[in-house]
Amino acid sequence: MLAIIIMNISWRISVARPYFCYASKKYLSGPELAYSQGMKSPPPVPRTLRIVVVNTAQGAGEQAAAAQARRNTALRIGLLESGYDIVASLPADIFLPERIAQIQPDMIIIDSESAARDVLEHIVIATRDEPRPIVLFTDDQDPSSMDAAIGAGVSAYIVAGLQAERVKPVLDVALARFRRERKLLDELSDTRRQLADRKLVERAKGVLMARSGLNEEEAYRKLRSMAMNRKLRLAEVAQRVLDVEDLL
Amino acid sequence: MKNIIQAGFMPLTDCAPLIMASILGLDEKHGIKLALSREHSWSGMRDRLLNGSLDVAHVLYGLIYGVEMGIGTRAVPMAVLMNLSRNGQAITLSRALGEAGVTDGAALAAQVRRSRRRFTFAHTFPTGNHAMFLYYWLAASGIDPLRDVRMATVPPGQMAASLAAGHIDGFCAGEPWGARAVLDGSGFTAATSQDIWPDHPGKALGATAAFADAHPQACRSLVAALLEAARWIEASPLHRDATAEVLASPAYVNAGRAAIAARLHGIYEDGLGRRWQDPDPLRFHAGGEANFPWLSDGMWFMTQHRRWGLLRDDPDYYAVAARVNRVGLYREAAVLAGVAAPAALLRSSVLIDGRIWNGRDPAAYISAFANGAPRPVFGHGAPQ
Repeated sequence: MLAIIIMNISWRISVARPYFCYASKKYLSGPELAYSQGMKSPPPVPRTLRIVVVNTAQGAGEQAAAAQARRNTALRIGLLESGYDIVASLPADIFLPERIAQIQPDMIIIDSESAARDVLEHIVIATRDEPRPIVLFTDDQDPSSMDAAIGAGVSAYIVAGLQAERVKPVLDVALARFRRERKLLDELSDTRRQLADRKLVERAKGVLMARSGLNEEEAYRKLRSMAMNRKLRLAEVAQRVLDVEDLL
Repeated sequence: MKNIIQAGFMPLTDCAPLIMASILGLDEKHGIKLALSREHSWSGMRDRLLNGSLDVAHVLYGLIYGVEMGIGTRAVPMAVLMNLSRNGQAITLSRALGEAGVTDGAALAAQVRRSRRRFTFAHTFPTGNHAMFLYYWLAASGIDPLRDVRMATVPPGQMAASLAAGHIDGFCAGEPWGARAVLDGSGFTAATSQDIWPDHPGKALGATAAFADAHPQACRSLVAALLEAARWIEASPLHRDATAEVLASPAYVNAGRAAIAARLHGIYEDGLGRRWQDPDPLRFHAGGEANFPWLSDGMWFMTQHRRWGLLRDDPDYYAVAARVNRVGLYREAAVLAGVAAPAALLRSSVLIDGRIWNGRDPAAYISAFANGAPRPVFGHGAPQ
């Protein structure tokens, strides 16, 4: 699932805070610096959103890591195809907060299955004294579409000043890509399961034919009626037949 | 009645009661069915609790209070249904520090003062138990965790590797990650969490207040099932062995049995040649004493959030704990499971710095810390 964390301006106005100090010196100038020194109006929102994608962590188990890597790739392609500027693709390691402070993205996109979600949480809490409320995504948008997004696993933090209409298209692209990827994965695992099921049933039929002298058709009918009587799937009954065979 | 309960857990040794309740069928005995979901991060687990895709979770006690008080997230009323574990977390320091003779907090403080480089320590979540125990231990050793060193949040599975690579100097996390770092030689155990606070609260069974209010019957049944599971785990060493065996599976903690089993039995090796049977090891039940949602336990996390500036004002500590910790519901569940529940709501403990925490005067407790009044600015993680 995707979690999309959006943080804007905070990294531009953090001159007074030690955390992003060095980044501030490097990046702050003109009106933004003036803002950090106490002016009331927020700095202008940049024209193109600067997006960072956080890559999956290592060591989460090979299969899970591969699935995350695929989703990351799909996400990046989707955003690039839609004309968004991905300024960096960062590994989810201990240096992530510093790199984010240096890059000052407008938006960070991370797979919510990633363990690095908690590293970003560190940033959220460390920067919460900025004059910017962290607002949950649902507060700014049409509630029905937001319920759908949350249902699909999207959560977001939006900073006051980044207009919802600029965020929504990015999220839409991310969501669409994510859904398509998930659909492909679901189809793949369905197909795999069906194949595995069919193999089980074939083997169980073989056992019944050898043990009870049934022909193939009869063996299949016997399996099917066992499944119906026990309210199990055909493959589950087949597995039990094979388990029993193993024991004998 | 709701009978399928979506329950999130993190791959840690102390998730055992949830897993064993499901494996032993104790959930079904109480008319519910646990649908277990292995989570990847505390933030993700929190979000899934809040959006309703999880009903309950094996969660850091401090995190529940962080959400209740709106620290780093919108404030959502939360519920602690029971305490799931005590003790059994650890502070691990790098092998390099051990080789330099830094084997305890005092030596670490001297080293931090002497060294020109800034030390980095990691915990698992900004409002969580490990952060609060790590801060407490550092402060008790004379190190200001927010000013003298750098703090980082690191997923527990990456702790040992970060330690070995020299990215961090130490960490506080749940098992089996401390044992893992000792086994692979990247670190040594400088303190256990029970050294900091014997019989401290650990993971809570957390839910949103909305869920607890809407499904009291399901919550009661669940707490009763988990009490039975906790009692079963502690009933014999053989049960602990079986638990370690189950936990090691890829579906649960997915770690070597060796990293899980020893400390589950209370047998510790610190990686510096010391081996001991801990008098206060990881506990899941202790006759129900460990499961009771003591109000003073919940209040303690708020006092630490206040101490380190995560909370900006003094809440009404007692009133917040009394609404979050569902003592009434717990007592009813305890009757169902045949477990005794204490009559008191507060308990008294002596922590590593000799201070007594009994929940009676939280404001005085906080102001007595040498670090002075709660600071206004929260400066976690400042790289200098």
